[in-house]
Amino acid sequence: MSRRGSFNIHAVIFGLAAVFVVTGVARTILTGGLSASNKVQITFWNGFTGPDGIVMLGIIDEFNRDNPDVQVTMQRIPWGTYYNKLTVAGSDGRGPAVFIIHCDGLLRYRRAGFMEDASPIFSGQDAVPKNDFEPYVFDQVKYRGKLLGCPLDIHPYGMFTNADMLKRAGIVDSVGNPRPPRTRNEFILAMKAMMKGTGSGTDRVWGYALTDWSANFRSLIPQFGGRYLDEKGNAVLNSPENVAAMTFIAGLAKDHLVPPPTNGLGWLGFRQQKVGMVWDGVFMLGDLKRINAFKYLGSPIPTIGSHPGTAANSHVMCIRTGLSPGQRGAAVRFIKYVSAHSIEWANAGQVPARLSARRDPRFADMQVQRAFAEQVPHIMYVPRSPVIVEIMNAINLAVDQGVRQLKTPEEALNRANKLAQAVIDRDRQDHPEDQP
Amino acid sequence: MRKRTREVFNILMLAVGAVFMIPLVIMFLTTFKMEREILDPSAVVPRTWSFSNYEQVLNSTVEAPIQLWTLNSFFVSCGTTLFVVILSAMVAFAITRIQIPGGRVLMNVVVATMMMPAQLFLIPLYMILGRMHMLDTPYALIFPATANGFGIFMVSQFMQGIPPSVEEAALIDGCSFLGVFWKIAIPLCGPALATLAVFTFIGSWNDYITPLVFTESVSNYTLPVGIALFQSSYSTQYGLTLATSLLSAVPLLIAFAVFQKQIIEASSASGLKD
Amino acid sequence: MTFRQQRNLTGYLLVAPYLVSFVIFLALPVVVALVLAFVQLDLANKSHSKFVGLSNFTDAFGDEAFRNAMLATGRYCILMVPSVLLIATGLGFGLYAMSRGREVVRGLIYIPAMLNVAATGILWQWFFNTEFGLFNFTAKRMHLPPVPWLSDQAYAMPAVVIMSIWWTVGGTAVIVLAGLQQIPRPFFEAAMLDGATGWNVLTKISLPLLKPVLLFVFVTTTISSFQMFGQAAVLSGDGPNYSTRGVVQYIFFIAFDGYRFGYGAAISWLLFLVIAVFSLAQSRLFRTKHA
Repeated sequence: MSRRGSFNIHAVIFGLAAVFVVTGVARTILTGGLSASNKVQITFWNGFTGPDGIVMLGIIDEFNRDNPDVQVTMQRIPWGTYYNKLTVAGSDGRGPAVFIIHCDGLLRYRRAGFMEDASPIFSGQDAVPKNDFEPYVFDQVKYRGKLLGCPLDIHPYGMFTNADMLKRAGIVDSVGNPRPPRTRNEFILAMKAMMKGTGSGTDRVWGYALTDWSANFRSLIPQFGGRYLDEKGNAVLNSPENVAAMTFIAGLAKDHLVPPPTNGLGWLGFRQQKVGMVWDGVFMLGDLKRINAFKYLGSPIPTIGSHPGTAANSHVMCIRTGLSPGQRGAAVRFIKYVSAHSIEWANAGQVPARLSARRDPRFADMQVQRAFAEQVPHIMYVPRSPVIVEIMNAINLAVDQGVRQLKTPEEALNRANKLAQAVIDRDRQDHPEDQP
Repeated sequence: MRKRTREVFNILMLAVGAVFMIPLVIMFLTTFKMEREILDPSAVVPRTWSFSNYEQVLNSTVEAPIQLWTLNSFFVSCGTTLFVVILSAMVAFAITRIQIPGGRVLMNVVVATMMMPAQLFLIPLYMILGRMHMLDTPYALIFPATANGFGIFMVSQFMQGIPPSVEEAALIDGCSFLGVFWKIAIPLCGPALATLAVFTFIGSWNDYITPLVFTESVSNYTLPVGIALFQSSYSTQYGLTLATSLLSAVPLLIAFAVFQKQIIEASSASGLKD
Repeated sequence: MTFRQQRNLTGYLLVAPYLVSFVIFLALPVVVALVLAFVQLDLANKSHSKFVGLSNFTDAFGDEAFRNAMLATGRYCILMVPSVLLIATGLGFGLYAMSRGREVVRGLIYIPAMLNVAATGILWQWFFNTEFGLFNFTAKRMHLPPVPWLSDQAYAMPAVVIMSIWWTVGGTAVIVLAGLQQIPRPFFEAAMLDGATGWNVLTKISLPLLKPVLLFVFVTTTISSFQMFGQAAVLSGDGPNYSTRGVVQYIFFIAFDGYRFGYGAAISWLLFLVIAVFSLAQSRLFRTKHA
């Protein structure tokens, strides 16, 4: 290195210091760190990072307007990292006042010890009526006689179809409107009717494509009468019913009825109108609305097994422990407000958890949400388990191997069951005091 | 080699250099395409030029506050560089010029810790920063970086080469040790400190795993984490995510255009005997 | 106060701020990491932390996912290190032989290293897309079958490596070039006068003289390959069948998705042991270099 550099290192140091200070001040102002206020501050964390977050922001703005003594600020973190951030912040006592948890994760995060008793939401002024939910849905927030939170919505998996493609393939009702298939036979026929082209040509069109493989498989579990865990909490992932469900999904790939697993068309293919039907969550509606490129319909997942059914999840609003009474009161008030306005939340591509919201005339105009809501009597939640993340990992891996034909459905699920049971056993040993 | 062959070879190498640039050029062009064209490509150059991707990014202050992430990145990178440069110079001066007792031991410890991979510290630092209530603040990205010993090692190597007569003269003139440090040692070490500053700044600007682990709020992300998480929410919208990515790289690309010689010479020197 | 005392006092004052940082952010973490490796600490249930002796380490050896992660990291290293070494050496010699325009080309190949890993990953994820990515777009134009880059286990890791080469090889090439430029001209001129062929000059003179630089490149590339995280994390995630989830990604998963800090720390130490071998070699290089 030469020493002929004639620049002034002092200037570099002062320059760095100047930028450091200026950006520091600027970001403090931008993030509102300087605004002092005597309002009760409520932070609300969730993973609504897409168009759904904008809908939620609208509800929060209304709440802040209607409640001048409270200031709710929303913090959105992509679901992929949301839970680890939440847990750590929560167990450090600096987490948000109100936060969302998917109902299958409730026990996992309850164990971390920062979830406040949620019963005040269901009593007092503007109480959320407990009987305004289906019992199966409300059961998800009950644990050992306590309430863990308030269900905000239900997001079942259903079928999205491209209306024009259905029509062109002649899948219509008596008056000529496109009619999504309802049964196994209708589904297979529709799938074949919409297929066009062969090989790997760019203009190839598919009737159906797997999107979220694991969710596609899990949507069929209740249809075949399968389940995840038995009454004692042991894994029964490899039951004959589950094998039958996976055999159907993997069979579609094996028979080349869906795009090859390596090609990754899935949801994107549906958006590009290269795929006629997909099964996905009601929340994907936001994406379709945004691109606004073609006519689509929502309908229940066709009955492939012996009876109708699908997978679903719910966002649950929870309160953190360790809040001041004022904050706790405001948090309860906020949750009541959001729950009461859940018909607005339905716009984001959700089925409101509250029955009364689903009776709102506005809901009747939401074709996709309403069609997906038809399935609510037959939905199946992923079981609440403290080790649900690990169990889902095992299931995802099995589906991956099954669809790619690397293992038979039976082998893949046997292995998943072994992995899941090992995790469950480890958890029983580590946490004997906290077993569902 | 004959002159003709030389010229052909030069052009060949220029072509190789161009190959390296192709991805960036295509990226640049693609950010001006509409989504429909991206999903159904027919040519590299957009059929219709559209600024909608950039408009959307710059207007989506809720989903992708890229302006704020840029501020955060500057704050963190400048802060880290500032502290690393000053602390490294201070310690190197104390060890090599003042020759404090215990200096050699400190130096050996510092060199030894340089061998430990950053991954080893990730979990413990996370717990320590949590205790210090520093998680989810930009300071969690600045202060831990100051413990790294590379700068001390590098500046010490350089300072050893400065003849003692320079500072002795200043001391005789009535200058204090701090005065010697600030007015004489630092300017003399200018090239080494500049190199250290370049390395530290680029490293801090492009760091991915630390902000991924140590920040929580969208408003505290730096650019790399911000765009990666934005991409995970909008993974299928290539025009949008490519535009964000390109914007995140612009400050360093400008810096490179200006300081190309210094940056490359600094990094190429790392494998050489001095 | 004597002159010497005053002098030392100033010295200690200068060292003090760094020492604070060193103790909190380096020394303490090492101690914490050591303790963690022998305890079970589940962040989601802190009250049930306990000392478990070596079981975190024995667990690791029975952990199939950890073995997979090690294999993925190993595959990455085996593909990455020789490729980078070969391409960087080739580029270095190419640059060296240029009679003009060297700085331009040097700048061009260096630019990718200026990008952050997230931007790089997002860019290449699009290139590798099976349906409308650049590679398969080109392949289709040439009537070749599309390659399922990121969705097939056989191609996912090579895809990560291809991206990483583009991203880092320019930075490595300029190190090789600098090494070549250090070799005094007379060496080559003398050889040429003796009538040596180009090949002989390369194998008998350039490469042996370049050995320390190449060794340095080999060691640093190996170390950074073992620490690979962002490339795969952004480009392919875990990859099909977890084929691109390397050790650092696995540590991240265990610690920050599974909250098992103790086990995560134990695996970090195992990774450290592997890297330490190469780091020691590197410090040897450093020492001979700066002695």
